[in-house]
Amino acid sequence: MSAQRAQLSRRGFLGGSLLFVAGAAIGCSTNPTGGSSSGAKTTLNVWSHAYGEAGTQQALNRYAAAFTKANPDIAVKVTWVPGDYTAKLNASLLTDAAPDVFEHGDFTQGLARRGQVAALDEQYGSTKADFTQSNLDRVTVDGKLYGVKMIDDVMMLYYRKSVLAKAGIAPPQTFDALVAAAKALTTKKSKGLFVGNDGIGDTHILQVFSNGGQLVADGKVGFATPQAVEAVTALKRLHDDKSLLLGFTTDWWDPAAFVQGVAPMQWCGLWAMPAIEKALGDDFGILPWPAFKAGGTPVMRVGGWTSCVNAKGKNVDAAKKFVQWLWIEQTEHQKDWSESYGFHVPPRKSAAASADKLTKGAARETVVLAAKYGAQNPNTWDSASGTPFAAAAAKIVAGQGDPARLLADAAGKAQSAVDKQLT
Amino acid sequence: MNATSHTVPRSERAGRPADTPRAPARPRRRADLRTWAVFALLTAPMLIGLGVFKYIAIGWSLLLSLSDAQGTIALGDWVGLDNYRQLFGDAVFRTSLVQILLFTLFIVPVTFAASLGLALLVHRIRRGRAVLRTAFLVPAAVSYVAAALVWKMSLFSGMPAGIANMIGGWFGMEFVPWLQTDTPPLYLIALVTLRLWLQVGFYMVLFLAGLQAIPKEVYEAAALDGATGLRLLRRITLPMLRNTSVAVLMLLFIAAFQAFDEFYNLFGSGLSGTGTAPVKTPMMYLYDTAMSAQNYGLGSAGAFVLTALIVGATLIQGRITGLGKSEE
Repeated sequence: MSAQRAQLSRRGFLGGSLLFVAGAAIGCSTNPTGGSSSGAKTTLNVWSHAYGEAGTQQALNRYAAAFTKANPDIAVKVTWVPGDYTAKLNASLLTDAAPDVFEHGDFTQGLARRGQVAALDEQYGSTKADFTQSNLDRVTVDGKLYGVKMIDDVMMLYYRKSVLAKAGIAPPQTFDALVAAAKALTTKKSKGLFVGNDGIGDTHILQVFSNGGQLVADGKVGFATPQAVEAVTALKRLHDDKSLLLGFTTDWWDPAAFVQGVAPMQWCGLWAMPAIEKALGDDFGILPWPAFKAGGTPVMRVGGWTSCVNAKGKNVDAAKKFVQWLWIEQTEHQKDWSESYGFHVPPRKSAAASADKLTKGAARETVVLAAKYGAQNPNTWDSASGTPFAAAAAKIVAGQGDPARLLADAAGKAQSAVDKQLT
Repeated sequence: MNATSHTVPRSERAGRPADTPRAPARPRRRADLRTWAVFALLTAPMLIGLGVFKYIAIGWSLLLSLSDAQGTIALGDWVGLDNYRQLFGDAVFRTSLVQILLFTLFIVPVTFAASLGLALLVHRIRRGRAVLRTAFLVPAAVSYVAAALVWKMSLFSGMPAGIANMIGGWFGMEFVPWLQTDTPPLYLIALVTLRLWLQVGFYMVLFLAGLQAIPKEVYEAAALDGATGLRLLRRITLPMLRNTSVAVLMLLFIAAFQAFDEFYNLFGSGLSGTGTAPVKTPMMYLYDTAMSAQNYGLGSAGAFVLTALIVGATLIQGRITGLGKSEE
């Protein structure tokens, strides 16, 4: 086949190369994503992590288009980021291609102290009073507000009513009861409880809260107190009983294991409730993570995403305008975002009160319980504190080493990370 | 050996293309200049690219490792060797170094032996060699990430329907979470098989190329002298494969020290942080430090420690195996 192939002449090669380079240059200079830059002066780059629920990406694009309609000189390009969002965001923030507006799942004081995010007090204005206090506290650093909470994500324990009733088990109200229930519901073919593929998930954090502790209180890391050690060590019982589902296809934040009946109890989030309702009808109930023992408190976790303005971006003013427009002013969009796809709780009280789907059934129950038992991570808590704690918990449940010692070591590392946040 | 003895004189000639006896002195110097100009022109893109994208970045990273760089890669906040002190004070990092050493000491000989063995087998068969060669090479084209997901979700899933559990079920085993079982460390089975599956084919091809370069006459001569089987392998094949072996060994060492993808994907949850992973390689530690916690100073320091380790291992290996030396 190669007998006929002509040798590439030098001139031909040069010509070909030039054509290729020219083509590449043209290809690069035209923006492949296009955007809606119909005469807009600035284009805002907005980053969002890839939400799992169908329709979310389209919704965000719709809000962006509506914003451009209201502000014809500002176009908005939404970048939908799958995978490890935080790592990609952190890397991007170091470059010129950094987003102007981004959401953050773990807002920390360090972001503000290092000058990565801009203060938004002016944008809040008088609407500030309509936000729940915990969500204002979360983004407050040295008296200024550095972000707008977009949604509250409530996390709780789901259980299959029919499965528990058939086994004659009441929804567990204490940790002992949870351990017993998980064990009783474990069969040859299925496990009783799913908290995460690594068998830890959020449980180590929940145990600290449920035994009356805090992750960080007054700048001091609190997961190595005797109460915390006792509670985290107790997680080993779930592992020793082999009643935890491990190594499932999707992780705890996806309801697949619960919906498919692989585990009759799962720690998951309010966002998954529409999917669970669709699959199981009303054959499910929700619970807070039970109190560790008398004197402890049940826990629901409240996470969520915060919209931030990149203080080092090129379009800070336009970015502030976008955040103000969408996440402070547009309660209709906020409601749509909170209840039309996965369920979330809108941080604005007025929006939460009028979100119809959250005011009935299990969703309503969740909102009420979250108001009572909801615990947010402190804004001094980032992965530098979380990673050592999770590593220590993993060792403890595997029975490797002395729990008090492991937690004290991890707390030492977390403390230096917290101290760094505060300076 | 064969190749080197040919290339040496040829390259000498190529270095002086205008070196003809009749050429007068002046044009010769001009020709030399021209050669240099061509050399510079052809290598410049590569050298500039290396300089800008590698060496400047490496130098910058060295400076970063000496400064407190949290959430920024700007220099200026010098802290001396604090980052290195913190790094070696951290038991997690020290453990990760020990774990990667153990992993390397295990995976390198196993991969080496498996690819060499496979190459010898494939080399011997007469029919279907191309098909087999391709079949073994195909996994090398699969990315670590994709393979890790197949291993995690299908082969070694913790569900009764996972393939490993299904096979275990035929023999009456209960289903186990392979990747989460620490005692005994079943996750090692997944880690090792994954790496072997991905790497063996590629190194097998390198060995095959080496085998094919061994002249037939040597074997014929040996056969005349009555050498057979193992003796041929030990006295002829292995010594003649020396250069290939040394290169393969070096590549294997570096790949093992840099292990990250499959560990991260097998043990990660898709969220940031890999705190609960049963084994944490230095690269994972660096990823958590730099990419999640944004501590670029500490991350750079760790990168330099890891680099030093790799360079050290390569130098020692080079000294022992005589890397880059021709043996005659």
